[in-house]
Amino acid sequence: MSTKSRIARTLAVLAGASLAMTACGGGTENPQAAQEGSTLTYWSMWKEGEPQQKVIAGAIADFEKETGATVKVQWQGRSNVQKLVPALNTNNVPDIVDGPYAKLAPVIGDTGQALPLTDAYAAEVDGKKVSELIPAKYVEVSNIKDADGKPWMLPYSLSSDGIWYDAAKHPGLETAPPASWDDFIKALETFKAEGKVPLAADGDIAGYNSMWFTTALVRTDGTGAFAKVAADKSGAAWDAPSVLAAAKKVEQIAQGDYLVKGYNASKWPAQQQVWANGGAELLLNGSWIPTETSTYAAEGFKFSSFPFPPVSGQPKTVRADFVGWAIPKKAESPKLAQKLATFMLGKKYQDAYGTDAKVLPIRTDAATAPEIASVKKALDSADGVYLQNDGVTAPGYVEKILWPINDELFLGKIKAEEFVAKMKAAQIGYWKDNS
Amino acid sequence: MSTTIGRRAATDSPAPAKKQKQGQGGSIDRQRRKLLMPFVGPAFIFYTVLFIVPAIGAAWISLHVWAGSGPMKFVGLQNYARVFKDDLFLKSFGNTLLLLFVVGAAIFILAFAMTLVLRDMAGKKMVRNVIFFPHLINALVFGVLAGFIFNPGGMVNTLLKPLGITEPPAWLAQENIFPLIMATLVATTTGYFTTILMAGVDRIPPYFYEDCALAGATAFQRLRYVILPLTWDVFGTCAVLWTISSIKIFEIIWVFGGSSGAGIPPTQSWTTAVYTYVTAFSGQSTPAYGAATASAIISLALVSVLVVLLRRAMRRDAVEF
Repeated sequence: MSTKSRIARTLAVLAGASLAMTACGGGTENPQAAQEGSTLTYWSMWKEGEPQQKVIAGAIADFEKETGATVKVQWQGRSNVQKLVPALNTNNVPDIVDGPYAKLAPVIGDTGQALPLTDAYAAEVDGKKVSELIPAKYVEVSNIKDADGKPWMLPYSLSSDGIWYDAAKHPGLETAPPASWDDFIKALETFKAEGKVPLAADGDIAGYNSMWFTTALVRTDGTGAFAKVAADKSGAAWDAPSVLAAAKKVEQIAQGDYLVKGYNASKWPAQQQVWANGGAELLLNGSWIPTETSTYAAEGFKFSSFPFPPVSGQPKTVRADFVGWAIPKKAESPKLAQKLATFMLGKKYQDAYGTDAKVLPIRTDAATAPEIASVKKALDSADGVYLQNDGVTAPGYVEKILWPINDELFLGKIKAEEFVAKMKAAQIGYWKDNS
Repeated sequence: MSTTIGRRAATDSPAPAKKQKQGQGGSIDRQRRKLLMPFVGPAFIFYTVLFIVPAIGAAWISLHVWAGSGPMKFVGLQNYARVFKDDLFLKSFGNTLLLLFVVGAAIFILAFAMTLVLRDMAGKKMVRNVIFFPHLINALVFGVLAGFIFNPGGMVNTLLKPLGITEPPAWLAQENIFPLIMATLVATTTGYFTTILMAGVDRIPPYFYEDCALAGATAFQRLRYVILPLTWDVFGTCAVLWTISSIKIFEIIWVFGGSSGAGIPPTQSWTTAVYTYVTAFSGQSTPAYGAATASAIISLALVSVLVVLLRRAMRRDAVEF
């Protein structure tokens, strides 16, 4: 019996490895004989040359100088977490990985493969306990605690979103951003009347398209509203009037002739390029937009953003997704890995993250670049936060149910009622097969 | 050179003694058997370890619900039932079949046509190189190029504007991406198979064509009674090659639609390979390794069945010439 299961497990491991053909590259780097406290393997989601990579590489160099340890970094790029999956079944795991919460949670967090970072959270950085450096309102929605209630992820930055515009062209939006959905539509109408293109969108990126619907629903029904709808096995949650109202808002955008021509038939990043060149006025997108579009933005472009139009009477919420580190339970140098993680939370590197890499550092006291000052302000003053896709991670739900059907709505092929009906039917089928 | 001779001498020397006992045939057989292990063994071991064992492992995973790490839950054949009930899988499967049969038919009709034209053409070597060239280019390049060419502000629309076409078709709309991919595959793969088929056609001795000319055969008759029968085995091999490679088509779809690193292709252009990948590695949700391997095993079964059927359908007595 036990041999049988051992063989079976070996087979599973081999198959997992073969399924992830690309995964083979990194596994061998971690020498079996490594002493705890001298060598670390780090799989990073950043690629060589990216601004974020430069900050982390600088921090690692300082860490090596200070501690005498060797950190073997592999700048793997965004697929590092996918590559981690098969590695977790072997003994060749990296000591530390980084990635967004939405990717790390299903792979290493929810499966109980991540080390509780008790040491890291108890450590002190710049005279403050690490646990105090991470604002509580973020931890509330990102369930980074394992089954025993201990955190397994140490975030170092946030990604958020907003409706982006050129503040040099529209200083009025900076002082008085749209205070409601109607205000927002009014602004779009004004742009249209002026002969401008109100909105840009890369319609081929389903994840950007679905931000409209999920955010609209979270605005009216609060954080977790979409997750609740998605989890309803009977599909009845789709009948709620607020769900249809959110879909109607998307329909209004898609069918109101506000979007740049050809948004439904282009290849990313064509339309965000059009926007950055002044071909369209507004763009709903992530906090990475200044970094991503700065190379081709029009001269004198001043990046600024306002949050997705709020609903009066509802708490002010902003999207905030963690990007951070996790350490596999099988790591050979877990102590040193935690030390590295806390070291990189130092103010110096957090500042560099904000000003050089122009992203949102996790520490509220860290400096940020003017390009993302607007998002930072929105985050700091928010009452609460919500996650990308409102935290839905059920296998395949987002890619196979939400995205294809939402694309039809956002690309103007169906109306809101049809969207709701299709989602409901698809979701009932989904849960019948997946429960 | 000297080592070769030396080795041969060494193996030859004991031979006469055996010859006396068993005759030559037995000796060669024995030699062969002796060589079987050292020659086939390593390849067999590698093949088993790298292909057969993982395939069996995948079959085993496909019977479970598993996130890639952590606990596995045995569910029997449920993943298969689920995958077959999934409209998206059926659509992806349909796309795979479209690639296999429609693109395949287009490729072979074009390849045969080109073979016929090229045979008598001046400068055929040059032409052959030109049509083979697209096959050397990585599919990723075509995916990226598609943006430059077909974006709303891209090359095609810019060229159409002076012609008075101000409302050009939405080239890269989700429903147009798959036909575009099919056209790209025809354009890039035809040259490859033309080259292989031409090698077969070039083997045909010229006196057959002279006979045809004397008998007053048309070009079609020449194809029907000379070229096809004499290149049938080459054509059969090409058909198997295409079957296997078409079912694995992945990267061109991945980069053509919506992706370039920021998303996943629209479901309208998914194939079973893309379905498998998204199910296991979407990066947006909990990996479903069981369902992904089930879909991969179904693809494997499909390839095996099709290859066997093809071999059977294409079986002819080889024409000796």
